[in-house]
Amino acid sequence: MREIELKVNGLRRKLGVADDELLLDVLRREFGTTSVREGCGVGACGACTALVGGKSVSTCLSRAARFDGAEITTADGLPDDDEVVDEFVANRAMQCGYCIPGFVMMAHELLGENPQPTDEEVVEHLEGNICRCGTYSEIHAAIKAAATRRAARNERATA
Amino acid sequence: MTTVESRSSVAAVGERWARVDGRAKVRGELRYAADQPVRPCLDVAVHRSTRPHAKITAIDTSRALAAEGVVAVVTGADLYAEFGDRLMTGPAFSDQPCLAYGKVRYVGEPIAAVIAHGVKQAREAAELIEVSYDELEPVHDVDKAVQGAPFVHDELRPSIVFGDLKHLRGKRDTNVNYEYNLRKGDPSSVSGTTVSYDFWCPPTHHVPIELPYAAAWCEGERLELMATTQTPSYVRQSLADLLDLPLNRVRVRTAPLGGSFGAKMYDRLEPLVAALAWTQKMAVKITATREEAFLLTTRHGCAVAGSMTADENGMIVASTSDVRYDTGAYADVGPRITAKSGLVAPGPYKIENVRVKSRCVYTNKPSAGPFRGFGVPQVTWAHESLADELARQLGEDPVEFRRRNMLREGDIAPVGTPMHSADFLGSLDAVTEAIGWGTPFVKQEGTLVRGRGVAVGVKAVLTPTISNAVVQLNQDGSASLLISTIDMGQGSDTIMAQIAAEVLCLGEGDVRVIQADTDVTPYDTITAGSRSTYHTGNAVRLAAENMRDKLVELAAERFGVEATDIKLTSDGLVSAQTQETVSVSELLHGHFGARGTTLTAEANFSTSWQPYDHENGLSPQVTEHWFAGAAAVQLTVDTATGRIHIEHLAVAGDVGRAINPAMVEQQLSGAAIMGIGHALFDQMVFDEGQIVNGTLLDYQLPSIKDMPDKLTPIIIESPHRTGPFGAKGVGETTIIPLAPAIANAVRDATGVRITTLPLTPERVLTALEEQP
Ligand code: FES
Ligand code: FES
Repeated sequence: MREIELKVNGLRRKLGVADDELLLDVLRREFGTTSVREGCGVGACGACTALVGGKSVSTCLSRAARFDGAEITTADGLPDDDEVVDEFVANRAMQCGYCIPGFVMMAHELLGENPQPTDEEVVEHLEGNICRCGTYSEIHAAIKAAATRRAARNERATA
Repeated sequence: MTTVESRSSVAAVGERWARVDGRAKVRGELRYAADQPVRPCLDVAVHRSTRPHAKITAIDTSRALAAEGVVAVVTGADLYAEFGDRLMTGPAFSDQPCLAYGKVRYVGEPIAAVIAHGVKQAREAAELIEVSYDELEPVHDVDKAVQGAPFVHDELRPSIVFGDLKHLRGKRDTNVNYEYNLRKGDPSSVSGTTVSYDFWCPPTHHVPIELPYAAAWCEGERLELMATTQTPSYVRQSLADLLDLPLNRVRVRTAPLGGSFGAKMYDRLEPLVAALAWTQKMAVKITATREEAFLLTTRHGCAVAGSMTADENGMIVASTSDVRYDTGAYADVGPRITAKSGLVAPGPYKIENVRVKSRCVYTNKPSAGPFRGFGVPQVTWAHESLADELARQLGEDPVEFRRRNMLREGDIAPVGTPMHSADFLGSLDAVTEAIGWGTPFVKQEGTLVRGRGVAVGVKAVLTPTISNAVVQLNQDGSASLLISTIDMGQGSDTIMAQIAAEVLCLGEGDVRVIQADTDVTPYDTITAGSRSTYHTGNAVRLAAENMRDKLVELAAERFGVEATDIKLTSDGLVSAQTQETVSVSELLHGHFGARGTTLTAEANFSTSWQPYDHENGLSPQVTEHWFAGAAAVQLTVDTATGRIHIEHLAVAGDVGRAINPAMVEQQLSGAAIMGIGHALFDQMVFDEGQIVNGTLLDYQLPSIKDMPDKLTPIIIESPHRTGPFGAKGVGETTIIPLAPAIANAVRDATGVRITTLPLTPERVLTALEEQP
């Protein structure tokens, strides 16, 4: 057991975790974040993706103890007016929905690093996430639309 | 593309309503089964067989029992002592125990369960169980299995679910648990040009991203269960039989599913948690790991030896198919697949002389069950490759050849049932037009060769089945819909709401679908086989119409006019005679004299069939209706690497009427993308009965990188006379012709006919090298 501190979706908490406990399980149990989910347990599907300091992490492979002091964002903690969420909804980028929060977080990471990704860059970035319902076209369109909207917003802000 | 009924003033059917809970899905706030609040549960893990076929001679559970956190260890023998033969469940044969006793029949079969405080403790303790075996000779492939011993089961024991299996009771000394034969005319009596091949589709896995989960506990004298299942009504019956309880003492709840595609049907984890909860009087839950999910069910591997003959006029005159479905150690729904898919083995063509022999065969592998397409993609792989090859050998355009031979409205399918609302021609024309069939293209660029291919598919909807619906109209004008159809991504919660809203003139968001709970929601056969839009949709339509009639009665009373004088509109109820209007809300308030009251209406919808003749397999009505779909593809094959790249894939499905076109397009595309996996790389690999690629690191699935450069989903609407607003299902139509369309394009590009799936680069390269 170790005591660590995590800041999840803006909420800071101290908690005890076992040495081999996965970040995935800690997020679900201690913070109730239903948006991180196990799909494969081996880092191959992306259903468990969270952002740690803006970088995507497969929480199914990550031991929680190593994240002492980290700032973590999950899809259910995004602000109400999040443009990535809005564009996923508007572009119908969901079927069963199970994989989608993982894609949302990947989209956040991508747009954070590369505000105007090309089609190829979007594909490269999402390659490690699986949507078994086959919602890829809609997800792709949603990310492009979110990029456009974010650019317009930034322009307004700097104008 | 006509419409069956005129639109009412408020349009709901045919509109692109947003998916219910779309935002909750995107934010990850939707609660799937494992996220639902239930009482605290102990965790279950199972110890699995390491042998494909063996007698269990001893089980030592002492080390597991002594392990940290362990509460109980239960073996198959313990459960058999409690339940006897009732331990055996299954939709077709009572052949599958939730824990093996006496004998194991595949590597990975559960033998004993550990109940512990915590998943980790349970899984670690399960490893400590020691089993001694007396090995028996295993049988790994269908061709050996049909020849004789060794036998996977000593005796075949049909369950009571399928009436047509009763005659098998007591049958011994065979691995063939079901055989369907179609005999029409005599294929050996005709001559012409014949092509014949042996085809193979390997077993594949559904891999819904949500893992299977089940929790169960006793509530006094009742058993309660929350699980990832698309068949709650079936599970309730199955558990009631297992525990020998009346139906009202078993409660099955479920939640929206994170995908299923057939994986979460019939008996999966549910009998195990129910048996443990009931015998141990504990609340227990089990979550399968991905590796374990691969062992729960698969798609049938399938061998087809097929031939097709055409006469000098290019008419198909004969077709033969010897189909062998590998059902693994347990039959599950394999016998039904064997018959219902065997009967479309000749394809969507007019053929006078037909022989189909379709067999369901036990082997020592994990059990195969339903998978999107229900066995039809496997036989379509054969008939669409044969039709294509026959056309090419006749020197004819594969599209023209198909058009000439295709079944049209009113034609009798080889199985003896007439076609209605199955627009093969429209589907074929739409997809070929979309990819520019007939327009010239550059055949070769360096090592890349380019080709085009097409295929069509036919499938019968599951018949007979039963659906019920209850509509509850609230005094404020909002409605709740009680059905046991499960939304697993296909969007049924949205389209069922649209059907009810259309009848009751309600708006988007006014109808809420209640999650399946067998204590509350009425019987529905299953959510599968693309039956729900038609069957449950009709039950919902009828229940809503009953509700409309009730409202009309109340309004007639209120206005003092004849009921025939009243019309329901989006503004409420209107009298044509007096022009008086009353809103639903006011009407109900006036009737009950209180706010918050409810008015309830219900309906049942059932379909019937005429069972096929056991001699010749023919029936004048073998199904309620047919599905038609087509795929056309343009692709390149790299002759240096064997890699296939899809430039344009067009898919079409005849859905009768699209209740929600946006969701229909998603189903058409989703099935096509899954089909790309089956065509190019997706397969379960076994070595001596052991899965060697049962993790997502090793099992390849289509990613965004495997998307075609262009994917065109096309909705065909040939309204069904008795469908709700003309609608039928859609979820399977485009997976059916997908693999042969791709292989036919590879044939076009390279001249090579490949008959084994998937078309991996190695397989393509080998075929190119062996090319004469
Ligand atoms: S569950 Fe973590 S990547 Fe699949
Ligand atoms: S929406 Fe179902 S897995 Fe992606």
